[in-house]
Amino acid sequence: MVLCKRLWTIVGLLTIILCCTNTATLAATIKIGEINPLSGRLAKQGVEIHQGVAVAVAEVNEAGGLDGQQVEIISRDDQSQPDVAISRAEELCGWKKVLALTGGYVDSLVGPISEVAKKYQIPYVASASLQKELTQRDNPYFFRVSTLQGFVEPLCSMLAEQVHPQRLAILHAATPGSTEFARDLKRCLQSRNSPVMLMEKFRPGTPDFTPLIGKLANMNIEVIISGGFFADHLLLLRQLKENRVSPKAYIGPFGIAYQSFIGEMSDDAEYLYSTCAWNPGITNPGTEAASKDFVERFRSIFHREPNTTNMHGYTSTRAVLAAMQNVLQQEKPLTGPNIRQSLAELDLDLPMERVAFDKHGDPRHYQHLVVQIQKGKFEVVYPPERSTASAIYPMPRWGQRK
Amino acid sequence: MWTTVFVSGITLGSFYTLVALGFALIFGVTHTFNLAHGELIVLAGYVAYWLWKTSGVSFLFTFPAAVLVALTVCLLLQRLFSRLKEPLELNSIVMSFGVAILLQNGMLFFFSGDYRLIRVPTFNQGLHFKTLYLSYGQLTLLALSLVVIGLLYLLMRHTYLGKALRATIQDREAAALAGINVGGMGLLAFAIGAILIGLAGPLYGSVHYLYPAAGLQATLLAITITIFSGVGRIRGLILGGWILGFAESGAVVLLGASWRELVGAVMLITLLALRPQGILEREK
Repeated sequence: MVLCKRLWTIVGLLTIILCCTNTATLAATIKIGEINPLSGRLAKQGVEIHQGVAVAVAEVNEAGGLDGQQVEIISRDDQSQPDVAISRAEELCGWKKVLALTGGYVDSLVGPISEVAKKYQIPYVASASLQKELTQRDNPYFFRVSTLQGFVEPLCSMLAEQVHPQRLAILHAATPGSTEFARDLKRCLQSRNSPVMLMEKFRPGTPDFTPLIGKLANMNIEVIISGGFFADHLLLLRQLKENRVSPKAYIGPFGIAYQSFIGEMSDDAEYLYSTCAWNPGITNPGTEAASKDFVERFRSIFHREPNTTNMHGYTSTRAVLAAMQNVLQQEKPLTGPNIRQSLAELDLDLPMERVAFDKHGDPRHYQHLVVQIQKGKFEVVYPPERSTASAIYPMPRWGQRK
Repeated sequence: MWTTVFVSGITLGSFYTLVALGFALIFGVTHTFNLAHGELIVLAGYVAYWLWKTSGVSFLFTFPAAVLVALTVCLLLQRLFSRLKEPLELNSIVMSFGVAILLQNGMLFFFSGDYRLIRVPTFNQGLHFKTLYLSYGQLTLLALSLVVIGLLYLLMRHTYLGKALRATIQDREAAALAGINVGGMGLLAFAIGAILIGLAGPLYGSVHYLYPAAGLQATLLAITITIFSGVGRIRGLILGGWILGFAESGAVVLLGASWRELVGAVMLITLLALRPQGILEREK
């Protein structure tokens, strides 16, 4: 009995010592939280955002950290589920006491995290979020590095100025971002006298597009704009080819401008249009060296080429870290309200965009370029001042390709 | 247009049937509600994808490997499920949910979260009959589902083993009293179910696409079709699959693509209200 009591005393003392040591180590670091869908249906994109975040933190730590303090990133997996995202955000803000949040993919996950961030007055810079409503909720602690207009404007301008389609269809996924994209694009095209003949919604993961393809063929649609995602394009394009339906242009703003997409689709990816905010060959003018640095650091850590989703994670994290650095330089304490204020005043040139936020937390300078896959590469075809090749329109029919 | 709906409905229905077959058989015989069914199909699909992509194995020859892997995992699962106590359905839901999460994370680790599609070049070619066009991919689906259903029907109707399986589906206790080895039937159901899963996997990877969390969709589909057909009704499965396929395809053309899932859900609720025993089963 006495031995047992002594044993418990020793264990208790050891636990206290370990806890103190741990706290002492962590006290020297600046903690930021990151919540991403690392498992579940959005795992691919979540992991990619996470990798971008990791590169940003590694870059800052290699340069000596923030004011000499190393940055510690605490990552959590929301399992692609909003309720889990809330509990992870509660854990990071309430228990782990992080100073800021970053990461996040799709509005259904970013939205709930932003509400928790507001409750704890902790700034949150989301990596990938589009829905307009999220920045209209009067949440001063929510910022994001992407916006829907960045997709809509260049696409609408390109179609109205260069393509002039007479029979155009917009297909979109049944997600808030994709639905809003379709609605905004339709409005924009109609205001520029480009009629939209068909607008159809489909569930992401639909296994069979054949009836929809029949409808498109029946209406003799020339240009298909599909607001689906990577996997939906794989299936829709394959079924278009199987059914020998050849539109003059196929435009997929989300999910096509990835090297992995060309890898999966091979030659069938040729001539497809997409939009792109950044890729290793396309960068914000004046940031070529920073872009190259990012690519090299990414390659050395993950042994592959980075993509635009990685860059979204990197950009949001760099925004958070730059805002913190500014707070420290002003010799103010690193508190939520101070970091928030610093984010609101931020003006930072990064490879994907010049990061500056409007009063709602939306980015001021997020703009996509229209790209077309030509000979296995992404060529910028719009706007003309940034173009690297002329657009091939109409794209050859499936049967005419080698 | 309507020929497209017809072809789409029949191939989509056949695909649904193939996905549901293994689940329906295992549930019918063992009363095990296997929520990891979809994950097993996706795993078999990944095996096929991996062989096709890395070793250049022809699509056709990926099936034996996929069946072998599905068989191994299913027999291990059967050992796990056989230790469960009553209530079997409820306990199997809990256990298979855990297995599904385990498989999902395992696939995420080994195959990453990337979307994978097995691209079979011949699937892009096809046959023309006037206005009707049938791709070889659609033909393969249709043929495979009909052959598998036919073989399963022959096994269930015209062999002693099939009769024993049917007896176990209808009443496990009475079957045991009649001298049928109910445990052995369970093992057999898992083995046949595994073969069906192994056949569905590569097709899933070529008709649909693979990612670690894709299994949930396949499981829900399997449960829906099983309810449609009534437990243990093999012919009902293909009929249920086709009806659902036609309804969904017709809804896209007549009402729009956003109505597709709603029509399926309304049909399921109506059927549950009016014919809870399934489409082919007679009311007792």
